[in-house]
Amino acid sequence: MKAGKVMLGINRKSLSFIIVLLLLGIVFVQSALTGSISVTPFELIHGLLTGTNDDVAIIKDLRLPRILIAVFAGAALSVAGVLLQAVMRNPLADPGIIGVSAGASFMSVLVVSLFPTLFFFVPLFAFIGGALAFFLVYSLSWKSGLDPLRMILIGIAVNALFTGLGQAIGFSGSGITQSMSQVTTSTLTMKKWSEVEVIALYGTIGLMLSFFVYRWCNYLSLEDRTAKSLGVNVNMARFFISIIAVLLASIATTVAGMFAFVGLLVPHIGRTLVGNDHKVLIPFSALAGALLILLADTLGRTLIAPNEIPASIIMAVIGGPFLIFLLRKSDRIYGH
Amino acid sequence: MDIKEVTFSYDKKRDTLNGIDSSIDIGKVTTIIGPNGCGKSTLLGVLSNHHQPQHGDVLLDGKSLADFKPKELAKRLAVVHQQNNAPSDMTVEKLTAYGRIPYKSLFASSTKEDEKAIEWALASTNLLDKRHMPIDSLSGGQMQRVWIAMALTQQTPYLFLDEPTTYLDIFYQYELLELVSSLNKQQGMSIVMVLHDINQAIKYSDIIIVMKNGQIAAKGKPEDIITADLIRDIYGVNVVVKQDPAAGMYIVPVGI
Repeated sequence: MKAGKVMLGINRKSLSFIIVLLLLGIVFVQSALTGSISVTPFELIHGLLTGTNDDVAIIKDLRLPRILIAVFAGAALSVAGVLLQAVMRNPLADPGIIGVSAGASFMSVLVVSLFPTLFFFVPLFAFIGGALAFFLVYSLSWKSGLDPLRMILIGIAVNALFTGLGQAIGFSGSGITQSMSQVTTSTLTMKKWSEVEVIALYGTIGLMLSFFVYRWCNYLSLEDRTAKSLGVNVNMARFFISIIAVLLASIATTVAGMFAFVGLLVPHIGRTLVGNDHKVLIPFSALAGALLILLADTLGRTLIAPNEIPASIIMAVIGGPFLIFLLRKSDRIYGH
Repeated sequence: MDIKEVTFSYDKKRDTLNGIDSSIDIGKVTTIIGPNGCGKSTLLGVLSNHHQPQHGDVLLDGKSLADFKPKELAKRLAVVHQQNNAPSDMTVEKLTAYGRIPYKSLFASSTKEDEKAIEWALASTNLLDKRHMPIDSLSGGQMQRVWIAMALTQQTPYLFLDEPTTYLDIFYQYELLELVSSLNKQQGMSIVMVLHDINQAIKYSDIIIVMKNGQIAAKGKPEDIITADLIRDIYGVNVVVKQDPAAGMYIVPVGI
């Protein structure tokens, strides 16, 4: 009986991984094949290998970058959520909700509008903006302990501040409005391979680093003083995990735009399916997040074709009710 | 362990600990008692380096606690805190294994010594048959034993416990105190704990430290220092001190 339970636990984890991987593969292929130009799987592979099919060339230039960016952005934002939740020991922490993405987005817009020549360094400035927003939320909500609702309220305030600042820049000059809307709202349209390179590079670095610190994430789920008694340098662990989380969220925001709720939804589903051990939770969230955004984007551009619903809007429609659900559930957990 | 002129304050207005000068004997069970707010848990916090004193120093093996690296200290001194938390789906064995953190780098995998320490800790706390169970299926008494198992896995000469019997019913309270006692007698561990129950302190301690208003009011063997006058002075409660051939010394409160 006991052994059976353990076996079931292992099976459930593996099964969750297999299903998510399979779905990701299916949606990936489906997303590449469908749209205003449709090809068969054989045509796609043949065309990609030989470069002789014009339709496939268009798909390669327009659709593949978009797919890859959706995959990396989903993975990065979900893992950023897992890491922030570990650092703040709060299941409601999400880079979109607490303003990290808004901070990153604001700094990107600021740099693009004031110093267009620094475009190459936009990821760096996005990181600084995200870190600034995170620092504000962290330092303001930490003093009152770990009250999850207070952290969300302060996060909403910081989020509103940076979103407002970003929009203010948008209204102050017409020439940059286009670049602004590209950063703040996400349609994932008109993505280029150069952008794929940016998110693939920094995203891979961030995801790898996040896996290196999975033990620290686990240790932080103990009380601080318990972790300290075990010789864990709690402050250093928090600092490094935060930096990785902000890097992932910022880079996803600069390249793919703002997605609320991904970092909330995916880790929560992950916790119920594969448990709280970050060794499993981090890779699972990366895969599930990639699946979710890619699915949202694919649905968004096929549901009402030839028009498009931005993936971020689909995410908001799914994520809003989900946040309410989580808040009600955490009421019961924390007994407020 | 030597405590030298330790003064500690949380808010810099009022000293929670005021000029504490004492020592902890090796191989003994030392219990700190005193009324609420007397600073007993704070003293335990200073002794385990969770609070750094504004004045004075605590020496472990002649070396100031502040000079220990965190992991080095965690190999000498384990603490079971009053309130603890861990993910509910974690197994007893995984949580116990966290006691090996001080012996490992962040990326190291577990060694033979780790496994031996975990086996020993689970056996000592009578948790071998619960090792694969998630911790949310345990009772309060079992959970407290898991935290002690984690501390034992650190394989330290010193074990500190902050009010370990709080929230436990009377069976688990005594089960835990017997466990602590056997760790002291069989493993030679030096135990320092904070207790509320004076009779439990009398029964299970070699040395009692009585605190009041951030200072040590009395320290010594239970039978030497526990008197009706002392209890009245410290707690404001009238007690009768009794001797019984079976129960040993105990106190009975009779009013205030």
